Amino acid sequence: MHHPTCLKIGPPRGRRRSTFLFVYAVAVFGFSAHMFSETALAAGAEMGEKIYQKHCVSCHGAEGWGVADVNDKPLHGDKPFEELVQVIEETMPEEHPELCVGKDAKKVARYLYDNFYTAAARSKQQASRIQLSRLTVRQYRNAIADLLASFGGSAALKEKRGLRGQYFDSRGFQPKQRRIDRVDPEVRFDFGEAAPAAEQFDASRFSIRWEGSVLAEETGEYEFIVRTEHAARLWVNDEKKMLIDAWVKSGDDNEYRGSVFLLGGRAYPLRLEFTKAKQGVDDSKKGQKPKPVRASIALAWKPPRKSDEVIPQRNLLPQRTPRVFALAAPFPADDGSSGYERGTSVSKRWDEAATYGAIEVANYVVDHLQELAGCRGETTADEPRLREFCRRFAARAFGRPLEEPQQRFFVQQSFAMAADLPSAVKTTVLLVLKSPRFLYPGLASAGEENANGGVDSYAAASRLSFGLWDSLPDDTLLDAAEHDALKTPKQIARQAERMLKDPRAKSKIRYFLQHWLQLDEKEKIAKDASLFPNFDDALASDLRTSLDLFLDDVVWSDASDYRNLFLADYLYMNERLAAFYGVDLPAGAGFRKVSFQDGQRAGIVTHPYLLATFAYHNLSSPIHRGVFITRRLLGRTLSPPPQATEFKEGDFEPHMTTREKIALLTQPVACNTCHSVINPLGFSLEHYDAVGRYREKEQSKVINAVSPYTTAGGGIVELQGAEGLARFIANSEQAHGASVDQLFHQAVKQPINAFGPDVRQNLIHGFKASDYNIRRLLVEIMKASVPFASVPH
Amino acid sequence: MSLKNRREFIRDLGLSSAVAPLLLGLPGLANAAVAEKRRQRLIIMFSPNGVVPGAFWPEEVGETFEFKEIMAPLQPYKNKTLVLNGVSDLVRGDGDSHMRGMSCLLTGTELFPGNIQGGSHTPAGWASGISIDQELKNFFQSRPETQTRFGSLEFGVSVPDRADPWTRMVYAGANKPVAPIDDPYQMFEKLYGRMQDQKMLSSILDRVREDLRKVREVVGREDKQLLEEHETFVRQMEQELKADKRRAAAGASPALEAGVKNTNDNMPRTSKMQIDLLVNSMANDMARLATLQYTNSVGQARMGWLDIADGHHSLSHKPDSETESQEKLIKINKWFCEQLLYLVEKLDKTPEPNGTGSLLDNTTVVWTNELGKGNSHTLHDIPFVLVGNGLDFKMGRSLRYRHTEHNRLLLAFAHGMGHHLETFGNPNFCRDGVLNDLT
Repeated sequence: MHHPTCLKIGPPRGRRRSTFLFVYAVAVFGFSAHMFSETALAAGAEMGEKIYQKHCVSCHGAEGWGVADVNDKPLHGDKPFEELVQVIEETMPEEHPELCVGKDAKKVARYLYDNFYTAAARSKQQASRIQLSRLTVRQYRNAIADLLASFGGSAALKEKRGLRGQYFDSRGFQPKQRRIDRVDPEVRFDFGEAAPAAEQFDASRFSIRWEGSVLAEETGEYEFIVRTEHAARLWVNDEKKMLIDAWVKSGDDNEYRGSVFLLGGRAYPLRLEFTKAKQGVDDSKKGQKPKPVRASIALAWKPPRKSDEVIPQRNLLPQRTPRVFALAAPFPADDGSSGYERGTSVSKRWDEAATYGAIEVANYVVDHLQELAGCRGETTADEPRLREFCRRFAARAFGRPLEEPQQRFFVQQSFAMAADLPSAVKTTVLLVLKSPRFLYPGLASAGEENANGGVDSYAAASRLSFGLWDSLPDDTLLDAAEHDALKTPKQIARQAERMLKDPRAKSKIRYFLQHWLQLDEKEKIAKDASLFPNFDDALASDLRTSLDLFLDDVVWSDASDYRNLFLADYLYMNERLAAFYGVDLPAGAGFRKVSFQDGQRAGIVTHPYLLATFAYHNLSSPIHRGVFITRRLLGRTLSPPPQATEFKEGDFEPHMTTREKIALLTQPVACNTCHSVINPLGFSLEHYDAVGRYREKEQSKVINAVSPYTTAGGGIVELQGAEGLARFIANSEQAHGASVDQLFHQAVKQPINAFGPDVRQNLIHGFKASDYNIRRLLVEIMKASVPFASVPH
Repeated sequence: MSLKNRREFIRDLGLSSAVAPLLLGLPGLANAAVAEKRRQRLIIMFSPNGVVPGAFWPEEVGETFEFKEIMAPLQPYKNKTLVLNGVSDLVRGDGDSHMRGMSCLLTGTELFPGNIQGGSHTPAGWASGISIDQELKNFFQSRPETQTRFGSLEFGVSVPDRADPWTRMVYAGANKPVAPIDDPYQMFEKLYGRMQDQKMLSSILDRVREDLRKVREVVGREDKQLLEEHETFVRQMEQELKADKRRAAAGASPALEAGVKNTNDNMPRTSKMQIDLLVNSMANDMARLATLQYTNSVGQARMGWLDIADGHHSLSHKPDSETESQEKLIKINKWFCEQLLYLVEKLDKTPEPNGTGSLLDNTTVVWTNELGKGNSHTLHDIPFVLVGNGLDFKMGRSLRYRHTEHNRLLLAFAHGMGHHLETFGNPNFCRDGVLNDLT
């Protein structure tokens, strides 16, 4: 545990007797000692470059890329510096190695080494250019879903929530016996021994069908749960195959589960059927009246990272939406080392995963030809229609019309070679989905037939759709591209504004927020059960919902004001949360806004979910909280601690407060550079214990939440508790810049400085001018990123 | 496809060449490494609604006996046949005789109370225990030397698309009925789909590389590298598929007649296709246990091809005195026996891979039924006709028991396959142990 590579600070897991704490040191953003040595070296490096230009460039080319027909081997390698010097001294320039020896060899080696020879140097250089990128996993799944939806149909989601419930006075679902047709907010009923309505029903044999759609907010595996003492069956996203088949009631089972993989931000068709009547042979006409029995039913689910709950009204729609193709095939995780997921590397596993994905889609397409292409491919008369389908499929996937050679390559060849029509379609689908034109959306502006490399409207459409939706362009975008109407900032802005209203944009912003706030890292929060007896999985799950609702509320309100993320004085609470956090909440179901007038709550920094996440199982953790705020909210960098230090409660006097312990622990000078930043931020939140409950005292000592914080500029700010901290973050220019960076990177998946030196600053100014409107910022990001060629030359 | 299935599907598609033969169930290198033991197999074939006893049971007991009309087609395999008369399904409890006949047949245990009402008796749910084929599958799959890709395969012919105790005889456990696959094309996909996919994949990979090369021409230098790297993975996959293909040549899939709709009238064709697939899957060692379920308990097959317009179940209710109906029932049961014959012949003609003799030398086929007799709904004298030498029973005999618990026969299947259970199903029916006189 003391190993210095334990750098990623995360809250401690589980319940250990002693907990660990990583004490940070050295190098806050822009530390100066380093700068000094750099200047001293500058002269030498300049010399190195001059030598390179004189003796090397004719064979090795600019930046070591080689020269066509002379030497096409790039000057890249992994030899240690000394060895590189030696090679140069002894062999370079070819035939005249005596021209470059001694200091000169060292200088030129240094130049190579720092600029392009090593992988590290190259990646540093690349950080500032737009790199060709493959689809991220999220983009791949969304693109596949939307590609198929463009043939199978999609529907705009309406406002109305709940499920359509039809109640029948019969054991089956005879339309004439329908007694009730209404929208139920959720499925959680206990009918007792009675019927759903007094007189119209035979209480021993009624049936109910609920229909509509279920809206998934996150991507992952969802477990659906039906609880009933009677018979039920459930379909989710597949009308042909039941997810739960409990139509045969057997034994004491009264809970049924089925799992399905769903993509976040999309609605899936759902149908639930229930019957209280016996099935099989209808003997109701003979024999005596059956004994009265109870009947109840509930439809619940367990979404990723949450515990099981009755599916809430906000996730149910009475409208039936078309099926979504949700590709569950596992992919290796995308490279997140730059702070955001991007597709700038490929691997064998990724190639295999993408291949399996393609096969799965191809099989699906062939199995659903009627639905997708309008014919089954059983007779030759179907051929023209299927060719047209293939052409459209390829064009959709590539985000632009096919030119003649591509039509031959992707469509005609398949039909010429395949044994039958479905195989031809399958071949095209595989070929298209394995094509770099689909897998690297940035290539949209390239193509051998369009080698000018300029950005046309189709490339702009792709940038917009991947930027705001992580998916392929829709009809409207493609239509605009066809009319070349994605050229001016105004046109881009108009499209972006339209696109922000789509659930896919909502999903993307949620994804951004989750990454930003590190909500995607933890599966579970566990707390000491003896100290916090009611803090269980269900409560933690509710906290998460509460935070999600809050974030949605801020982002999607009219003002969409970033500052409200910190300054809002309310939380979403349901009855369970209210009881736990000691808030009076009028009885009633569901989450509601609760305002705190007494300065106890200020936006996300005081949200109990985050406070509990960044805490120990038994104690608050000013360091975890401080590090989170430093890095994520204020955008300052921290170096890893020079030594790992163990935080053992036993090392301290028992009467000390957490603040006192941390101050003592981080007292050494080596710790001070970082902890003068981290600690004050964390101490401001000392009014909140390990579960985020407000407290006035710890260990019978009054909490001191005031502390002096050293800003990046070196100034000192006296932070006055949580509210002061929140106000400080909301108004911090550095925090604004950090948010701009984060949002830009998650949207565009390219480094912001690759789009020009002024883009970042302009966006920050615009952000301020728009009163920190988050959605407006996204529109501006699109304007700033779309006009650039996605394929650099 | 559920997530789990899909994941399995994907995982199984693994192209790593070392595991491919094993996954494909081919007699490949991986299997050769393990000292090969004899591959014992058990196939249980089901036909419904009881039989016509007078035209079914041989009159003689012992090694000298004559087949009656229904079993006459089996004549060429008489010395490999064992007829067991007097074995009874004594399981009682909820559910009517058809339901219990079906769902207790291979489980030997009671049905749970439930909501499915039969023509008589109390309503019931699913069986409360595992079926013998699944028990043996689990046993085989738990040991490396008997492990196969699927363990067991559940074939059906014209099984209605309905799940209830009348349509399910295979149980993975209490309340876990397993649906048979009655569409030969669906079964083909399950068995050989991956091979088809790989074939198609290898046919397009050179074009994928061509596409990558074309695109590479128009991107900048730094980005070229990424595409080159991508291409090396495509090339690797191409080579791995080629290696797989060479190894896969031995496990050719059977050619199926195309475009056969899964309807009542096509039963003779789908039956043949399913048997072809079954024998092929066994030859490729994809499974060592299989069930083949014709229709269902209370099944209403209309055998127009035998000039019988009535539904099978309706006919089975007719009294013994109605000679015309009895004649039709004899024809129907004889048709089932012909299906058994086709299966047995096919096993007999297929050489045992990696061994000597034929598949039939190591396979026992059990033909059974949920009732003894249709019009009485009796669960006594359940038909059990065994053909082949998978269980090392002494064949070429006709035996007679009296109201003997069928659990003891299920136990004998287990012992014959090397799984020495003390009891199976309801232990009260196993007091006398493994059924006597079989070996």
